[in-house]
This record gives sequence, structure tokens and C-alpha cells, in this order.
Amino acid sequence: MNEKTVTLAHGAGGTQTNELIGSVFKAHFANPLFTGDDAAVLPQPGGRIAMSTDGFIVSPWKFNGGNIGKLAVCGTVNDLSCMGAKPLYLTSAFVIEEGFPLDALEEIAAAMEKTAAEVGVRIVAGDTKVAGKGQCDGIFINTTGVGEILPQANTSGTFAKPGDAVIATGDIGRHGCTILIARNDFGIESDVDSDCAPLWGTVESLFRVTDDIHVIRDATRGGVGTVLYEIAEQSQVGIRLNAESVPVDPRVKGVCGMLGLDPLYLACEGRLVIFAPQEHAEALVAELKKGRYSANAAVIGTVTAENSGKVILETEIGTQTYLPQPKGELLPRIC
Amino acid sequence: MNNSMRAARDIITSYSGKPLRIMEVCGTHTHEIFRLGLRKLLPEQIDLISGPGCPVCVTSVGYIDEACRLALQNGCVICTFGDLIRVPGTEMSLAGARAEGAEVKPVYSPLDAVELAAKNPEKQVVFLAVGFETTTPSACLAVKQAKEAGLQNFSLLTANKTMPNAYQALVGSADAFLYPGHVNAITGNAVCRELCEKQSVSGVVAGFTASELLTALAVTIRLLEKGEPFFRNCYPRVVKDEGNPAALQIMQDVMEPCDSEWRGLGLIPQSGMKLREEYADYDARMKYHLPVITGKPNPACRCGEVLQGKCKPSDCKVFGKVCTPLHPVGACMVSDEGACSAYYQYT
Repeated sequence: MNEKTVTLAHGAGGTQTNELIGSVFKAHFANPLFTGDDAAVLPQPGGRIAMSTDGFIVSPWKFNGGNIGKLAVCGTVNDLSCMGAKPLYLTSAFVIEEGFPLDALEEIAAAMEKTAAEVGVRIVAGDTKVAGKGQCDGIFINTTGVGEILPQANTSGTFAKPGDAVIATGDIGRHGCTILIARNDFGIESDVDSDCAPLWGTVESLFRVTDDIHVIRDATRGGVGTVLYEIAEQSQVGIRLNAESVPVDPRVKGVCGMLGLDPLYLACEGRLVIFAPQEHAEALVAELKKGRYSANAAVIGTVTAENSGKVILETEIGTQTYLPQPKGELLPRIC
Repeated sequence: MNNSMRAARDIITSYSGKPLRIMEVCGTHTHEIFRLGLRKLLPEQIDLISGPGCPVCVTSVGYIDEACRLALQNGCVICTFGDLIRVPGTEMSLAGARAEGAEVKPVYSPLDAVELAAKNPEKQVVFLAVGFETTTPSACLAVKQAKEAGLQNFSLLTANKTMPNAYQALVGSADAFLYPGHVNAITGNAVCRELCEKQSVSGVVAGFTASELLTALAVTIRLLEKGEPFFRNCYPRVVKDEGNPAALQIMQDVMEPCDSEWRGLGLIPQSGMKLREEYADYDARMKYHLPVITGKPNPACRCGEVLQGKCKPSDCKVFGKVCTPLHPVGACMVSDEGACSAYYQYT
């Protein structure tokens, strides 16, 4: 291809579409299951399967620590992993804005390939549409995934029980903080990088310690604070969060301090919140600390029968307050 | 908790003297005090009152109306500190204006708004200059930069406020003030010392960490027990007696004092800042010939009394019912620093 950007012709279904698919997507996603047919034909997994889908519209498409391609694979891989499902297959649909640079598309596809390979998931089908200039913001990606649930896994947001320990698999809020800085609306410079990572290996390591894992949730949009409220609501339990034990990178603390934001509500793309019986907490954290993406894992709270649906914060001065309910748009405060 | 924090905490929790009213003037203090659940440590004789130090909360309804008009009728791009976006005006908030097609951008610094104007010469950019001595110097710097760069598409809608005359309006509403550390870092301590020496108004400058707040409160309690008027700087790592001369100079170069309307406190003479004559081209009110707009706050809202410590948020009829952080009726419910918002979220 000679053109340096994606054009409407690339989405018209003709020669140029085939060229685009061949040179960018097939080149990166090549595997025996990714054929030119209308649907991928796949061997039947042995056990229960989990299926999930997610759309990704992050702006800018590239940020410190990843890009929208890596994010699109991690997002669906992590959703499957939260159900104890080993990710097997992904589909990927692209909506690309006319004029989007081809080398950027190449970079995105390469990141998807690398991330998928790390987890052992295969991209088996895809779709490409080109939208006119201004009809979308650069590139949108949807991924859908199928995974095979470990026979011993039985997790759900409704399964948290009084007495459970709440574990975070690492320092929180780095992805949200990275995107805020990358958007450059706030004139703040920081080398903070996204926590975006595929977490199947992390989940697998939990089940090496015990099968008795009640809830696994990835703390994406809305961050850990939002996840805690979701689980408190779904499981009809209270959660006590210990403020001092929540791991936060000093750079994230610094940016949040300047903007008046709370890291508890900033998105993560490579962090899980796990609910499991207290007796396994120590062993789970010890195992997590060995992992590539969970070296800073920590117990951050406990589940209680009282205060159902609420999250209580134990503060650094020894008092207890309600953790504020998550709000919509994050708006930095004045001073 | 370290030993010094524990010692300060013990002083606070073991107080058993006469009733005390202590006012935290600064919105960031209000937020931190709620976040830490600090009121729960207080014995019942100590009443901690939230003062009018949240810049969003004291911004008048009419100001929001002016900003919405500039956005919708004059087609200006409105750049603003984020939490102003949801403050209700008479008809709508800036979020409402945005939903009707206005361009409203949250920025961290007024200099970002200047940059936006420089990059988009076809757009008229207006920065909403609100806040106290902490934010005013950067707004002045922005105007100075815009003038030096010859930008003709940048202006300020000013509602900047200064603290000294507000303290005058608050004299008598508390036994001691926790002074806003960030403001004193700019202004220095002369005004607070003078209040102590000439009018027997007591207070301490407080920092913002758990340890700094506990210390400031413990010092205040101990000194109130002695009964003599006092001033102490409990935030010396940041606040110097002389303040920040460079910031004070640029404020003086670019702006001059004016009367200012505070939500809840009314018009306080010489408690605001406006652009000097030589910067009139950068004054949005003059540039767009804005008429005098008097906003109409929702009559059910008691933000004004909350701001003066005359009533608690929960005494207001709309609090927690029609007025919530997601659907604020009054300004105090908007910012995380607002007393109503903090009260709603943490208690």
C-alpha cells in the first residue's frame, strides 16, 4: 500500500479493504483459526465457557504504558479472567476514522498480537469499518472473547461473604492518571505509566492457592471505590476499607493531590479486587507478590454483615467514615 | 498513627472545658476534615464550623448566568476549573449550557486557557477567574502573557476574591479560625496577626495532612483554654511570614480591589479583584458589553446560612432530597470542598 492513512476506500469492501486486512491485521493476527471465511470454526472446549464483550474509545489512542490495541485485548481478557475463565478466543471489530495513520494502525495491531500471545488467546475473527472524518475519534475497537472456566472456579459479584478479606492486586489508579496526563488538558507533566496488563496469569495464580475465591472484579472505569460499592450492593454486605493499606504509587498521589482527585475512583486496567475467606488472605497475597503484575498486592479491607451496601473507610487518624459514593464525571477541584 | 499525632489526638479527645466554636475557613480543610472523620473525635463542647472558603460555594448565581450567556449567546469557549461546571445558575449550569452545544472545557491552570486561545485564533476563549489569593496570581499571569503575545481572543470573567475583608465579615462567628494554609502561603501572616493584635481575633494557620490538621486543632484548643487572643503558624513548612512577594506583585500589577458579592455573605466592600484599566481589553464584561445580571438562587436553598455557620446542611429542607451531589441545588453541594457535599458524602 502506498497511502499513509486509512481512507474510505479501505472500508468499501473491495481490493483496498483486502489489502488493509492482509497487510495489517492478517500479518499480525495470523493463526490457523483466523481464516477468510464468514465465521471462525472452533473446537468445542471441554468445560463451561464464559463470554464477554467490550468497546474501547480511549483518547489519545496511545499513552504511556500501552495503546488502545493492548487495552482492547486486556479489557476482554481480564473480564473473562474475573470469572475464572482461561481466555481462548477473541474477535475484534475496528471502526477507524478516515485519515487515521496507517503506521498507527500497525502499532495498534502489533500491541494486540503481543498481548494476545502473552496470554495464549487467539484472535479468530475481525471486522473493519471506516467512518468519515469527524464521525469517530481516531479509532474505536470492540473485542469479544470466549474463555473456558476452570472446573474449580465459581466467582460472582454476589458471592462476597462477611469475614472475607478484600485484596487489591497492586497500586491503584495508574491508568486513569496516565490518561488524564496524556490528554494534556491540565498542563501537568509526570512519567506515570498505565497499569494496563492482561491478568489471566494473575487469576490462575490465585487458584493455585485455593479454589475458595468468592469474587474477582477488575477495577476499570470508576476504579476500586466503584467496585467496592458494586460488590457491597450485589452481595448485600458491608465493606470496611483501611485507608492506609491501599497501595498508591507516589506519582499518582502527587497528581491526584494537585487535581483534587481520589485515586480510589481512577480507572485501573491491570488491577483486580479479590474477595476470599480471611484464612486464605495471607497465602493469596504472598502468591500474588510473586506475579509480574501483582507485586504490590495487599489486603485492603474486610467484609462485614452490618452496613449492608455501604463502604466504611477506616482513616489514618483512627476514625471511621463512609467512603463517598462514586460520582459521574471526574472534575478537578479549584485549589 | 505516629506519636505526635496520637498526642494531638489525645488533647482533642480529652478536652472537657467550656464550649468552643472553631471555624475552618478553607474548603480544602472542610473536605479533609470530613474525609478523616475528624469531627467524630471531638467532644461535644467543641463545635467545628465550616466557613466560606470554598471558591465555588461563594461564587454568585449571577456569575454563572454571565458565563452561560458568554458561552451560548456570544459563542465563547469557556475554560474553567472543573468543579464550577455543575454549579447551578438561575436557568442552568455550565453543564447545562454544554448540553445545549456550548463549548466548556475544564482546565487545571489559566495558562492552559491562554495556550488554547493561541492555538485557536478563530475562537474567543474566556477563562472563569474565580478563587482566592491561591488562584488569582495565575489568572493575572495568564492575562499578562496574553497581552505580551498580542492575543486578542482571550479574556477573563473575574470573580476573584480576597480573604482579609471576609475575615472582618466573619468576626464574632467563632472563638478561633483555622486559617487557610494555601492562602497564607501567598498573603503572608500580617493580616492574621493584625486581627489578633487589634481585634483580639484568635486563629492558627493549618496545613492539610491528617497530622497537620490534628496539630493545628490541638494547638487551638490548648491556646483557647488559656483565654488570651493568639495567632500561631502551624504550617511553617509552607507558610512564611512574608508570604510570596512575587505572587503578590503580579496581582498588584494586573488587578485592583473591588467590591464583591459572596453567596451567603452578600456584598463585601473591597473583597474582590478586577482587572486594572490597562488590561480592560482582557475583561470579558467590557469586551462583550455584558449587562448587569443579578442571579436568582433557589429560594429553598440555605447555602448562605451554611456558609456562615448559622445552620447545618441537614437543617436545609432540600438537603439530601432534591439537592444531592449528582443534582445539586446549591453551590455547597457541588464542589467536594462544599460543606453540604462533604456532609452528604461522609455522614
